[in-house]
Amino acid sequence: MQEYAKIISTISLSMIITSYLIIELRNLKYSAYVYMIQAFLMCTLFAIFAIDNPGLYYWAATAFITKVVIIPWLLLRYIKKTTDREFQPLIGYLGSITLISAVVILLYRVTHSYIGFVAPSQFATAEPFRTNLAVSLSIFFMGLYCILVRRDAIKTVHGLLILENGVHLSLVTLAPALRETALIGIVTDVVIAVWILLYVIYGIYQKFGSTDTFQLKGLRW
Amino acid sequence: MNNEILYLFLSPFIAGVLIFLVGRKSRVVSETLALLGTIITFVVALKIFIATTHGEVLTLHSNQLRMDALSGLIAGLVAMLGLIASCYSIPYMRREVEVGAIQAERMGTYYGWFMIFLSTMLCATTVNNIILLWVIIEATTLASIILVGFYWNKDAIEAAYKYAILLTVGITFALFGCVLLYSGASQQVASGVDPLKLTEIAKVAGKMPKSIVLLSVVMLLVGFGTKAGMVPFHTWLPDAHAEAPTPISAMLSGVMIKVGVYALIRTVLIFYPFYPIVSTLVLVFGMLTMVVGVIMMMMQDDLKRFLAFCSVTSMGYILMGLGLANYLGIYGGIFHLLNHSLMKSLAFFSVGAVVYSTHHRRVSELGGLGKYMPITAVAFYVATLALGGLPFFNGFISEFTLFIAGVKAGFPWATVVAVAVAILNVAIFFHLTYQVFMGEAPENLKAAGIKEVPVMMWGGMLILAFLCILIGVYPQIVSPILNEATKAVFATIAMP
Repeated sequence: MQEYAKIISTISLSMIITSYLIIELRNLKYSAYVYMIQAFLMCTLFAIFAIDNPGLYYWAATAFITKVVIIPWLLLRYIKKTTDREFQPLIGYLGSITLISAVVILLYRVTHSYIGFVAPSQFATAEPFRTNLAVSLSIFFMGLYCILVRRDAIKTVHGLLILENGVHLSLVTLAPALRETALIGIVTDVVIAVWILLYVIYGIYQKFGSTDTFQLKGLRW
Repeated sequence: MNNEILYLFLSPFIAGVLIFLVGRKSRVVSETLALLGTIITFVVALKIFIATTHGEVLTLHSNQLRMDALSGLIAGLVAMLGLIASCYSIPYMRREVEVGAIQAERMGTYYGWFMIFLSTMLCATTVNNIILLWVIIEATTLASIILVGFYWNKDAIEAAYKYAILLTVGITFALFGCVLLYSGASQQVASGVDPLKLTEIAKVAGKMPKSIVLLSVVMLLVGFGTKAGMVPFHTWLPDAHAEAPTPISAMLSGVMIKVGVYALIRTVLIFYPFYPIVSTLVLVFGMLTMVVGVIMMMMQDDLKRFLAFCSVTSMGYILMGLGLANYLGIYGGIFHLLNHSLMKSLAFFSVGAVVYSTHHRRVSELGGLGKYMPITAVAFYVATLALGGLPFFNGFISEFTLFIAGVKAGFPWATVVAVAVAILNVAIFFHLTYQVFMGEAPENLKAAGIKEVPVMMWGGMLILAFLCILIGVYPQIVSPILNEATKAVFATIAMP
C-alpha cells in the first residue's frame, strides 16, 4: 500500500477540499455536483485500498451506485422542485472558511498525532491508514459544522451527507473486513433517510414558501 | 420455536407491504389488514415472551438473531401496544377524515407505515449484530417520519423535519460508535469468531483499548441517547409526540424511545465492570434528563406536549436505574421501562380520546370532562396516578425500587433528586387532572354535546388501566419476568 501513499494523500486532501466546496457554494445544484465528485473520490480510494483487500471492490461498487448515482439524483430532483439558491447563512464566506479551517487543521493535527487513541491496531496507525482516519474525522466534523451553522434545510442535508461520508471513509481503517451485507444495510438507510428528508423539506417549501429553517418556529418549549 | 423470531417481524412487515400494494384504494381493506397483522404479531410475540421469560434463549442464523428475556419483554410490549393502537386508530383516524384533517385516500399510507414501523421496532429486539442493530434502529426512525408529519400542516411538517434531522444526525454518531466497537472487538476475539455479534463483543469488552471504549461509549450515548429522548438530545421528542396522530404518539412514547434504551443496554452496559466512569455517565445523564423533563412539564399548556415532557422525565428514571449499575438498579430501570410503556400509552390514548371528542388539547380550553366522558376520565385518573407514582399503582413500585437502589448503590443524592422530582410530578399531575376532568366544563364544550369515545378506543384503555393497577397492587406477578430480564442483561456482561 506504501507505493500508493501519494495518490491516497492527494485524494484524501481532495475530499477535504470538496467538503469545503459543498459547504461554501451558495448554489445548491453545484454543491450536489461537488458531492457527486466527493463520492467518486471516495469510491476511487476504496478501489485503491481494494488492491490489498479485494473485498473493498464491493464497497466501491456499492458507494458508486448509492452515492455517485442515486443520492445526487435525488438531491438534484428536489433542488429542481424547490430552489437552487441557498438561504443566506449566518456566517459569511470569510468567517465560515476561517472557522472551518481552524477546526479542520486542529482536528487533523490532533488525530494524526494521537492516532493511537482511535486506531484499534498497530496496523491502523501506519500510513496511509493514519491519514485516512485523520481525514475521515475531519470530514465528519465539517459535516457537523454545516448542520449546526447553516439555516437552509437542503444545505443541512448536504451536511448530513458529508458527516456520513466521514464515517464511511473511516471504515477502510476501522472495519476493513466488514461484510458487504452490513455495508449495504448502512447505505440503504442513508439513501432512504435522504429521500424522506428531501420529501419533508419539499413539504416545508410548499407550506412556508422557502427552505429556511429559521421559519420553523411554531413549536417551542 | 426459533423460527418465531422471523415471523415476529415479518408478519407486520408483510401486512405493511400488502397495505401499500392492495389497501391504498380502500380504507376498510387497509384497516382489516392492519388489524390482522397486529393480531398475528401479538400471538407470535406472546409465544416468544412466554418462552424467553421462562429462561429460554432463542437463536437463528448462527446467532445473528437472538432473543432473551429482555428482548422478549420489549417485543411483547411493542406487539401489545401495536395491537391496541391499531384498534384505537380505526375510529380515531376515521374521525380525522370526517373533520377534514386527513384525506381519506391517505389512510392506506398511514396503516402501511404503521405496520412497517411496528416491524422495525420488533426487529430491533431480535438482532445480535452491532451494525444490523444500528441499521434497524435507524429504520425505526425512517419508518416513523411520515407518521409524525402525517397531518402535513405547518406544525406537523416542522415536527417531522426536526425529528428526521435530529435523529438521523444523532444516529450517525452511533454508527461511528458501533464501528469503533466492532474494530476494537475484532482485534480481541478468537479467530473464527464473528466480532459483529453483540454477545461476542461483550465477552471481550474488558480487553479493548480504553480510549476506543470511552470514545465509542460517548458516541453511542449521543446516538442511541438521542433516540431515547435523553437530555440534552431530547428536543425532537415534544414536537414529534405532540404533532403525530395520537395512536402514533402512544407508540413513540410507549415503545419507540424504549428501543433506544434497549440499544444502550446492549452496547453500553457491557463496559460497566471494567470502566465505572461509563455507569457514572449514564447516571448523570439520567438525573439531568429527569430534572429538565419535570421543569419543562410545568411550563406546558398543550396536553400532548405535557405528556411528551413527562416521557423525558420517565426516561430519566430509567437511565438512573441503569446508571446505578447494581442488580436492583437495573431491575428497577427495566421495571420502570415496562410500567412507563403501559401508563404513558394509557395517558396518550386518554388524551387522544379528549381530542377526539372535544377537538381541543390545550389544558386552558378544557374542564369538567369527567361528567361527559366517564370511562376516559377513569383511564386518565389511573394513568396520572400511576405516572405520579402514587401507592397501589405500578409507577410507585418501580420508582420506589429505584429510590432504594440509589441508596444501596451509594448514590443517596440521586435518590434525593429522584424523590423531589417524583413529588413535583404528583403535584403537576393533580393540577392537570383537576383542570381537564373536574370542575365545570366551558360553555362551548357543553354546547358541543361531548360524548364518550367508541369501545374500539376505550377497550384498549381499560386493559392498560387494569394492568397499571394489577402491577401496582400485586407486583409479584411481574417479578419473575423482570428477574429473568435483569439476569439476561447480566448474562451478556463479562466479569473481570
